[in-house]
Amino acid sequence: MKKKIGVYVCHCGGNISDHVDIEKVKAAVRDEADVYLVKNTLFACADSSQKEIGSDIENEHLDAIVVASCSPKLHLNTFRGVAQRAGLNPYNYVQVNIREQSSWAHSDNKTGATEKAILLVKAGIAKAKESEALQSLKIPAANVVAVIGAGVGGMKTAIGLADMGTEVYLIEKDFFVGGRTPQWGTVSPNGDEGAILTEKLYKEVVRRPNITLFTGAELVEKSGSIGNFDLKIALRPRFVSGNPSTEAMQRAAEACPVAVKDDFNFGLTNRRAFMLPAQGQFPQVPAIDQSACTRCGECTAACHEVDLTQEVQTITLHVGAFVVNTGFDPYQPAQGEYGYGELDNVITLPQFRRLMEMNESELVFNGKKIKKIAYIYCVGSRQDDDEGNTYCSRYCCTATSLTAVLAKKKFGNIINFHFNRGIRTYGKHELVYEAASKQGDIFLQFSLKSIPQIEKRGNKTYVKVKDILTAGKELETEADLIVLVTGMVPRKNELLAQQLKIPTGRDHFFNEIHMKLRPVETVIDGVLIAGTCQSPKNILETVNSSMAAAAKINSVLTKGELSLEPTLAKVNPAACDWCDNCSKACPFDAILQTEINGKKVARVNESNCKGCGMCTPVCPTDAIDLAGYTNAQVESMIDALAEA
Amino acid sequence: MEIQQETCINESLYDVLVIGAGIAGEESALKLADMGYRVLLVEKEPSIGGKMILLSKVFPTLDCAACITTPKVSETARHPNITILTLTEVEEIVRDTKNRFSVTLKKKPRYVVEKDCTGCQECEKACPAIVNDQFQFNLTARKAVYIPFTIANPRVALIDIDNCLLCGACEKACPSNCIDFTQKEEQLKITAKSVIVSTGFKLFDPIQIERYGFGRYKNVITSMQMERQLAPTRPFNNILRPSDGKVPDKIAYVFCAGSRDHTVGNPICSQVCCMYSTKQAQLLMGALPMADVSLYYINIRAFGKGFDEFYEQAKDMGAKYVKGKIASITEKENGNLILRYEDIATGKVTEKEHDLVVLSVGILANPGITRVFKKERLETDALNYIRQTDLLQSPAITSIEGVFAAGTATAPMDIPDTIMSAGAAATETSSYLARLS
Repeated sequence: MKKKIGVYVCHCGGNISDHVDIEKVKAAVRDEADVYLVKNTLFACADSSQKEIGSDIENEHLDAIVVASCSPKLHLNTFRGVAQRAGLNPYNYVQVNIREQSSWAHSDNKTGATEKAILLVKAGIAKAKESEALQSLKIPAANVVAVIGAGVGGMKTAIGLADMGTEVYLIEKDFFVGGRTPQWGTVSPNGDEGAILTEKLYKEVVRRPNITLFTGAELVEKSGSIGNFDLKIALRPRFVSGNPSTEAMQRAAEACPVAVKDDFNFGLTNRRAFMLPAQGQFPQVPAIDQSACTRCGECTAACHEVDLTQEVQTITLHVGAFVVNTGFDPYQPAQGEYGYGELDNVITLPQFRRLMEMNESELVFNGKKIKKIAYIYCVGSRQDDDEGNTYCSRYCCTATSLTAVLAKKKFGNIINFHFNRGIRTYGKHELVYEAASKQGDIFLQFSLKSIPQIEKRGNKTYVKVKDILTAGKELETEADLIVLVTGMVPRKNELLAQQLKIPTGRDHFFNEIHMKLRPVETVIDGVLIAGTCQSPKNILETVNSSMAAAAKINSVLTKGELSLEPTLAKVNPAACDWCDNCSKACPFDAILQTEINGKKVARVNESNCKGCGMCTPVCPTDAIDLAGYTNAQVESMIDALAEA
Repeated sequence: MEIQQETCINESLYDVLVIGAGIAGEESALKLADMGYRVLLVEKEPSIGGKMILLSKVFPTLDCAACITTPKVSETARHPNITILTLTEVEEIVRDTKNRFSVTLKKKPRYVVEKDCTGCQECEKACPAIVNDQFQFNLTARKAVYIPFTIANPRVALIDIDNCLLCGACEKACPSNCIDFTQKEEQLKITAKSVIVSTGFKLFDPIQIERYGFGRYKNVITSMQMERQLAPTRPFNNILRPSDGKVPDKIAYVFCAGSRDHTVGNPICSQVCCMYSTKQAQLLMGALPMADVSLYYINIRAFGKGFDEFYEQAKDMGAKYVKGKIASITEKENGNLILRYEDIATGKVTEKEHDLVVLSVGILANPGITRVFKKERLETDALNYIRQTDLLQSPAITSIEGVFAAGTATAPMDIPDTIMSAGAAATETSSYLARLS
């Protein structure tokens, strides 16, 4: 039992003190048994307050402390650190959350919020009295990272990690690296080409001995925890071995009788089941699309490197952490959305970019020369609540303005009409919007309540809009081509989501722990996220977040060992009768059967135990307890709460 | 004689010199220090924390900025691998023969013995000299001897010698005898293997836009002044307009003050103003439930994760977004202001009266640091931001090998993007250091 407890009640600026009467809280707990001192503080987390708490621990010989402030999610580790630096075991520290749970939840009721805060603090004091010093476990950690997805972001994460001395497995589901970037053509106003950027990064990846690249590879199984994950990776066969000559590749592709839609060109063209790498796709080695291949064997004759006997291989890897960099898919418009799939001259922005790449000096689509282009913005973004994607896709306003500039530059006689919902060319991107305006592009603005109408009259297509910029005038223009500016959605990958269990937000993108404090970490320790799987980003932002993820995980793994939370289940073998209830309840396979002096009892595998507490309530003999949250602690907290 | 901290620092070798201790500098320094590198973090202000530590809540999560930034500040301050110098400016950086950077620093005197000051503020009470408080953006006053702000780090006093009357009152009042008028400016020389420039941005000074009347009309304030009124460490514990201390009930925001404007030489968008104004509008509607908040905008740049939803939420709460660029502001006798603009919704030139006007000021490049690099040139772009020579592949790389850039030194950006950019700079620096050895 702890006898000298220090209690600190935080104002959190006004976040707490605006709705909770701090003086009342202090007065209510001052005379609690074993409370030695009670203080209030403007910001308990500020350095000066931390120092004050520390010196109280040292000078007054406190044996436990309670800080009543915000959520432990934010500052548990901050104050555990304060305790530790002052020589107090960090597990003799108890955090009470009177911000989220009192002041913010009950901002309409100061009396009630204060009463609740008093009870929560009393319960915290009760827990502190029963607290015990715990020692964290040190485990060896592998300085090896699995990077999932080898687009621009994944490759940058891999290169960054490798250069800092971390071993990398770069795991790409497709047979080619580069992700979406090589599909885009020119990606910046400076004329940077997506294919060239991909090529540069691919060369950087392959020349580093501590990066192992797997293509056609998918994570199928994962076990373990941060520092020590065991993975199974399935490697789909490429059905091509070695490096066939360009001529042999061409011959084999021509020999292949199976044609399917070419994903690289977003279905604008067909490709063969024998897939040739496109410009900017690496390695420049063909692969056979198993789902389309009829195994007719025509390609085998044309190219000796084809080997149709290859099978799926499974390999196992041991890594310390993951960085997930699985990217985005362009939003797929619904059938009939702005005429998509119904009118033959309605395509998406990604399709238009491919079209621009495929046309040399004249812009032609479906045999028709294109002069007037209507871009319709926010397709699949900023939708109504019940309809779908409420978020802004961030890249599209800039990408479309740049596309319009490039189209005019490349094909000359082009008139661009931008049907937008307010141009969002943030930061330096403003200059791209300015360039589009200066070249004579026409910008018209609509609201979600009154979206542009597309009409086919005869063989001509018209776009009609109630234009906000001209005080709501109805304007109409003819268009040869309608380009739907489609937003970003997270790339579909159910198997991976199942394996890694990363929580997603309402927008279906992966969620970080904290946008500002921990922007590349997830609630799963050792599983980081970067790039567009977290939220829409452009290439620069993707690269920054990918390199930030590299910095974060390298700084954790580079020491070669990790401390585990000591809040683990403990078995009292004398009381245990091995009924198997605990092991059935455990979601982490952390409870095993063992024998002590001929008696079958439960044993906890500490490296698997997460301290979730699922096992303790199901034990009929109270033989299993959770350190840091013992039955004695929880019961004393309930008593304190019930006393009122 | 006690060895002074400065003597230890002089002549030392560091792996990294980080210039500027805002959120970007702290993040880069922390990541590199966690990897085991020795970092010297130099800050010209008396406290670390940059601009973020002065903010109220931050968009779009409405986290309190102090709650997020003080732990980082504190972690930075006590990290065993990080040495911090406040009130220190870099004078010269030049590459030496061993491919290291020879750095000259100028440490201004604090006139207070840093290690002895307890932050008791007795000196402040005794000091008779009153001047504008720059950390409250001149909304209130401070003394010539002062602690920069409540959550400053280090939380120790300094003397603003330009405004000091040299009366000695503070010296008499100080219980720990730490006032020391004999301190002199010091020149320190250190060596660093690499440099991170995280010097942040400058706020646009709206005095340049005469037609908005800032500096002439008392009730035209900047968004940073409103930010301070909304912060947990706010000066008035209420929202007051400057002319008469009245609580305003018709507040106007003028967007793009100093952004997207060729006439002031800043054609680009500042990337944060739409969102911070939207956040302030939400906070104002909470603080003053009866007040009317109108926001005059060109386009709303609500582009980041959760931003557009945040903008929609502000509209649902009752914020009035009016599409129209403010042409001019005139002052009435009662201190109210008439805003003249083309109302895009009707296409007509319109006038509206408000009792407080907040200018959503933009952010500008802060390129002064480029002057300290000798022999090699730290290049800037057309907008005076540090030029990113390999923008898409390695955004932290600059025109000088071994010198990297983080945060708003390279472009306008918000806090999450700044933290990502600082992380990227740490990876780039660490990779460079690994190549050196």
